[in-house]
Amino acid sequence: MICRKGSKGAKIALLAIFLLSALLLSGCWNNRDLTEMNLVSAAGLERTKDGKLLLTVQVVEPAAIQSTSSGKGQGGNGSPYPTYVSSYEGETLFETIRGILSTLDKKLFFSATQILILGENLAKDDIIEALDFFQRDHEINYKMYILVAKDVSPQEILEIKNDLDPIEAMYLKRTVDNNVARGTVKRTMLIDLVKDIYCSGKQIAIGQITKSGKKEVRTEGIAVFKDGKLAGWLNRRETRGYLFAINQIKSTIVNVPVEEGLVAIETISAKGKVHVPFKKGKPAALGIKVNIEAAVGEYAGTGKLECPERIYELERKTEEVVRKEIEDALKKVQKEFSSDIFGFGQQVRKYNPKYWKKIKKEWNELFSELPADIKVKAKLRRVGSVRDSLEKDE
Amino acid sequence: MINIRNQEKTANQNKVQNFIDSREPIPERLELVKTRLNEIFSGTDDFMYREFTCGKNGSIKILVAFIRGLVDKRTLNQEVIRPLIERFSSEEFYTPAAGGRLYERFIEAVINVDLKEADTMHQAVNSIVSGEALLFIEGEDKALVIGVKRVQGRQVEEPDTETSIRGSREGFVENLAVNTTLIRKRVKNPNLKIEMMKIGQQTKTDVCICYIKGIAKDEIVKEVKERLKKIKVDGVLDTGIIEQQISDYRFSLFPTVGNSEKCDKLVGKLLDGRVAILCDGTPFVLTVPYLFIESIQVTDDYYDHAFFATFMRLLRLISLLVSVLLPGLYVALVSFHQTVIPFKLMITLAASRQGIPFSPFIEAFLMIIVFELLREAGVRMPRPIGQALSIVGAIVLGEASVAAGITSNLMVIIVATTAICSFIIPPFIRATMLLRFVVLIAANILGFLGIWFVGIAVLIHLCKLHSFGIPYMTPFAPITSAILKDSFIVVPYWAMITRSGAQEHVEENSGSPDQSNNNKPGDENKT
Repeated sequence: MICRKGSKGAKIALLAIFLLSALLLSGCWNNRDLTEMNLVSAAGLERTKDGKLLLTVQVVEPAAIQSTSSGKGQGGNGSPYPTYVSSYEGETLFETIRGILSTLDKKLFFSATQILILGENLAKDDIIEALDFFQRDHEINYKMYILVAKDVSPQEILEIKNDLDPIEAMYLKRTVDNNVARGTVKRTMLIDLVKDIYCSGKQIAIGQITKSGKKEVRTEGIAVFKDGKLAGWLNRRETRGYLFAINQIKSTIVNVPVEEGLVAIETISAKGKVHVPFKKGKPAALGIKVNIEAAVGEYAGTGKLECPERIYELERKTEEVVRKEIEDALKKVQKEFSSDIFGFGQQVRKYNPKYWKKIKKEWNELFSELPADIKVKAKLRRVGSVRDSLEKDE
Repeated sequence: MINIRNQEKTANQNKVQNFIDSREPIPERLELVKTRLNEIFSGTDDFMYREFTCGKNGSIKILVAFIRGLVDKRTLNQEVIRPLIERFSSEEFYTPAAGGRLYERFIEAVINVDLKEADTMHQAVNSIVSGEALLFIEGEDKALVIGVKRVQGRQVEEPDTETSIRGSREGFVENLAVNTTLIRKRVKNPNLKIEMMKIGQQTKTDVCICYIKGIAKDEIVKEVKERLKKIKVDGVLDTGIIEQQISDYRFSLFPTVGNSEKCDKLVGKLLDGRVAILCDGTPFVLTVPYLFIESIQVTDDYYDHAFFATFMRLLRLISLLVSVLLPGLYVALVSFHQTVIPFKLMITLAASRQGIPFSPFIEAFLMIIVFELLREAGVRMPRPIGQALSIVGAIVLGEASVAAGITSNLMVIIVATTAICSFIIPPFIRATMLLRFVVLIAANILGFLGIWFVGIAVLIHLCKLHSFGIPYMTPFAPITSAILKDSFIVVPYWAMITRSGAQEHVEENSGSPDQSNNNKPGDENKT
């Protein structure tokens, strides 16, 4: 019989190494049941007038979801509503999270949180300080979306109840998710935000949420921050320009005016890049390069697309429209907010670190003064199933 | 039963041993023979003997002794006794001058039935109890063993325990002779060796080892023989008893001896260099060495398309993992690592757990126990009741417990999935059943970490195992590239040019040129 022979001590040592190596794996050591905690689907943070922190949480009642199996069910007829919203005031976030247990039955569980909404007052005050807990705690969903509420308190948004999804947080999240088809809001995950905060040479920008009706929200535009404080807002168009520049556009519809009306151009892919060209050891301009591949989606008018020249012309016009959007956005953050949300400073830091060290402090002023150098290239790939717009054959 | 037997074991052995001395001669006088037989078989009412006379004027007295039911009386009458009486009735046939002893003449006279000489009383009695008839002749100190064993038992039919879609439907039966015939029928080769031996001090069961010389490694054959010789038990009722005695690791949950009821499967194993152990009285045939990978190999794999077979192999491997890990994983996920569950799934999980009074661990534990009870009941019950049982089980497990809020829907799904998966790999059913509980407990204490610990411990154990000198995890540890072709992936049969299992084959048996070794294509390529 073949049997491996080795000293017993060595074997035990080997076994111990194998088993102990498992201890290096991090994990949660406390055994607790899913039913023993409140799943927080969405949270809101706001600064009250007297400087306190107001936490609003939306917790899920799983049993109620099960009973409304299709997911469309409402709280009517006495059956419980799938979510519950509660608020609590405190001085620190952690204290508030524990304090809110005086009104809620089970401990809050933030690992499933989908959305964090920051109030306008808090944003004006300082968000970095408020976000500390979310970075520090180990049971936080790093992929939660962050939005800044405009003209409305987070509490009001979280209390919106409509029938689109049994869990409102999912409804909110999806309105941000569908941005891939429209490109008008910045999708900001907690992890990205944390990265941007730590990154020197880049200011943060967070998507914006407003209430657009009794039962609806609208996620459009972005909130521009300067050193953690809200500096202002960008509208829908400017936001798209910004997103083009930072390469976050998947698909969007650009309306291009032509002689006979408007052409809706659908971008298929867009590649954006920011860079800072240097001349004589100094930054010469703020460079933005965008390459767009697009298709004609709609011709609202009576024009014809019969020859390549027309297509080329349309391409030039598309470039012009996109360029204008980017320029507007850049101009606004440069002149009004002097907040470098594009991350030009980051480019300087990366490629000219020595120079960056010198001017780090004055970068905001420097950034506001630099001329823009925006280059957009558009390529139309398709014109759709018909060549010309619909008209009677005469 | 076992306890009683064990207590009296030594006393009994001595008694029987003293009763017949192995060198006791057969008395020449029939009267003495009768007395002696009566002594030995006192209290054995199914023992019978008959006296005849034959020869002219009844000059030859003979005595036929046998055990009722074991011998084929018809054959005994027509083929032995009648010819003897008829042929020896004439004077000239029976004269001392014709030469030779009387029993030799008897042997000449009987053609159709196998006659052997028995020299001692011990031998004679052994033959009687093993179902042969004994013929004592007045004046001779030798008796004749008449091979008229009655063959009784099932027909060759498809085994219930192993069914296959394609391939032979023939399964082994309880009769050893039939079983060896079934093997011979498939391997027409003098190198197929069938070596008989007897095991069991009381039962003296026929056991035979079967292998193809030249393919099976000589060391393994030798080892098997040695281990079989060492077995000391009262009786061998099933190969399971042998299996326990010859296993390399008697306390391991994982089988290191394989068993099968299917004839074509066994021949396949023989061609892979395995040694088979057949035992009279059971259709289950053992094969050694037995490796881990054999548990997920099925004969259908070799008959089917290789891609499909590979897919099925992987599926079986997954089912092995699932059947061990799933309840533990669930408990770990729900109790420890909620963070990794996607939001939507978490809501569903939480909703299904809402209002359940037990912790996930207790819930899983109870459900698995209920399932095991149900399974055991299903096996033990008479078949007609089994139907009712499965209905009750389905309702109790599936419907009522959920409706009553004792268990969650999800737990029912998990236990059911686990159960299905555990049925896919019958050889490991014991191992998976017990390991499932270990994993479950570990998961409840340490979460994923606990499962990881158990997993590593099991892996180390598996790598440590050997079966008759072959590492259990071959071909993975040690990696044996030639055999990997028939592991998780299955290459087409024509591409399998090496045998699995026994690694170093030596073409030792090149003596006979016509040994049809082309049972596996491309055999000449093997080294």
